[in-house]
Amino acid sequence: MSILFSSRAHGAKASRVNAIQRVVMFFVHHIRQAVFSLGELWRTPGSSLMTIAVLGLSLTLPTTLHLLVKNVQQISGGFAKAAEINLFIRDTATPQQVQSLKTILEADSQIVGVRHISKEAAMAEFREASGFGAALNYLTDNPLPDVLVVLPVHTEPAAARQLQQQLEKERIVEFAKLDLEWLQRLDALVLLLQQAVVAIGLLLLSAVLLIVSNTIRLSIINKRDEIEVMKLVGATDAFIQRPFLYTGLWFGVFGGLLAFLVTEALLWWLRSAIASISSLYQSDFQLQAMSLHEFGGLLLLAILLGVMGSYLSVRRHLRAIEPS
Amino acid sequence: MLQFDQVSKSYPGGFVALERINFRIAKGEMVFLTGHSGAGKSTILKLISMIERPSTGRVMINNIDLSRLKRSQIPYVRRDVGIIYQNHRLLMNHTVFDNVALPLVIEGFTGKEMVKRVHAALDKVGLLDKQRCLPQTLSGGEQQRVGIARAVVNKPPLLLADEPTGNLDPELSRDIMRVFEAFNQVGVSVLVATHDLGLIARMRYRTLTLKQGRMINDGLMPAQEPL
Repeated sequence: MSILFSSRAHGAKASRVNAIQRVVMFFVHHIRQAVFSLGELWRTPGSSLMTIAVLGLSLTLPTTLHLLVKNVQQISGGFAKAAEINLFIRDTATPQQVQSLKTILEADSQIVGVRHISKEAAMAEFREASGFGAALNYLTDNPLPDVLVVLPVHTEPAAARQLQQQLEKERIVEFAKLDLEWLQRLDALVLLLQQAVVAIGLLLLSAVLLIVSNTIRLSIINKRDEIEVMKLVGATDAFIQRPFLYTGLWFGVFGGLLAFLVTEALLWWLRSAIASISSLYQSDFQLQAMSLHEFGGLLLLAILLGVMGSYLSVRRHLRAIEPS
Repeated sequence: MLQFDQVSKSYPGGFVALERINFRIAKGEMVFLTGHSGAGKSTILKLISMIERPSTGRVMINNIDLSRLKRSQIPYVRRDVGIIYQNHRLLMNHTVFDNVALPLVIEGFTGKEMVKRVHAALDKVGLLDKQRCLPQTLSGGEQQRVGIARAVVNKPPLLLADEPTGNLDPELSRDIMRVFEAFNQVGVSVLVATHDLGLIARMRYRTLTLKQGRMINDGLMPAQEPL
């Protein structure tokens, strides 16, 4: 494109190239630029490694926290199975009525299973657990009711609550008890944790953005003379900024990979400790590692931050450099 | 082709670098611009290459008013004007070949076409054998010629030179001037700013003379006062 001399054959575009070749050249050019920027990083290994290390470690913390939340959710999901409903049966109900209610409930599609704890079994358990032992012998009759323990299919608080209210309407049921409070507290805690992680994550991600931006700013200042010369011989801003954007991209790629490796190492380090704890609790808890999806997301996020940080810097500082 | 129309340039603080300058340079013309240092020679070149903008008046190339162009169009103007700087302005950590190839790379040339053009430009200034050298290892005259090769590599219709023989011995100066004449002979308009009056006298081209920001002789009329 020549503004001043319309007749002037200009640039490579003036030579005969068709559309496909132009598209191919576009990609070839960008790949070449990417490789060139990679080479630039390679030529200054010290400072590049420093920057990559800072980025990687800054990304490691949100990644680890994310995995923590994920694992806690898995555990609390396991606890939710304990959202049982206890049906306390009226004293007046006969054993046949209790049996038939149990059969009906077992057939209900909303219910996974029903367990019957008879008065006598409850009394025996109470005698053992409470330590009142002999004192209980003075009771003339057994004050404990029959209990049907119902495990619902849907263990979320709202669904379980609805089932509880429905069961309470049964004629022989005195009242139905759903111990949800501690579950709700746990959920609230998990939510709090999640939000804290999001906040810390946002802070650290902005730190990454600023680090990249500042690193690119320094490299722009270092190349001030070169940029002036390029402007003097007719380079557009887009041309001058391209290598810096690719540098940001590489920072993102390597920072993301480093964060992945450090997180994996951390998990590996913790795995044996967690295994011993969970064996003490007779739990089959498995620490969940990063999925391929999450790895992709991490890398994409890192690249995005790298390019954005670089763009912020390039926009502000390239304009300011003008030849004199 | 190049036209200054009542161009003034003053800097903040009241310093007037140019005052109502008028002149025209025709296509294919070779012109000298002379005057003492501080007379405004460099300012005129900066206005043409859009490093500076005039305070008033118009600088026109091919009847296009440069002050009407947007910032984003400046690079395209600079591609049409080859400029040779007094202090060379080379990329010191890149080879001679890379320096000369830069304008072509910017315009999107690649491969054989680029190499061919760079070699042609280096051949014209006699530096083909130094293409792998870094500019630091070259002499001042050779660096100047690298700058010339870079200015002409994309065949601009207008060539500007700011003190191209600034600190060279007479023989080298003559060589460099011959290079400019060679470009002029193939139709390139050339404007050389220099205070080397001996050189101007030998060359016998039209000479624009500046004195304290005013044009006292545009080379088309007899001199009104001696310099």
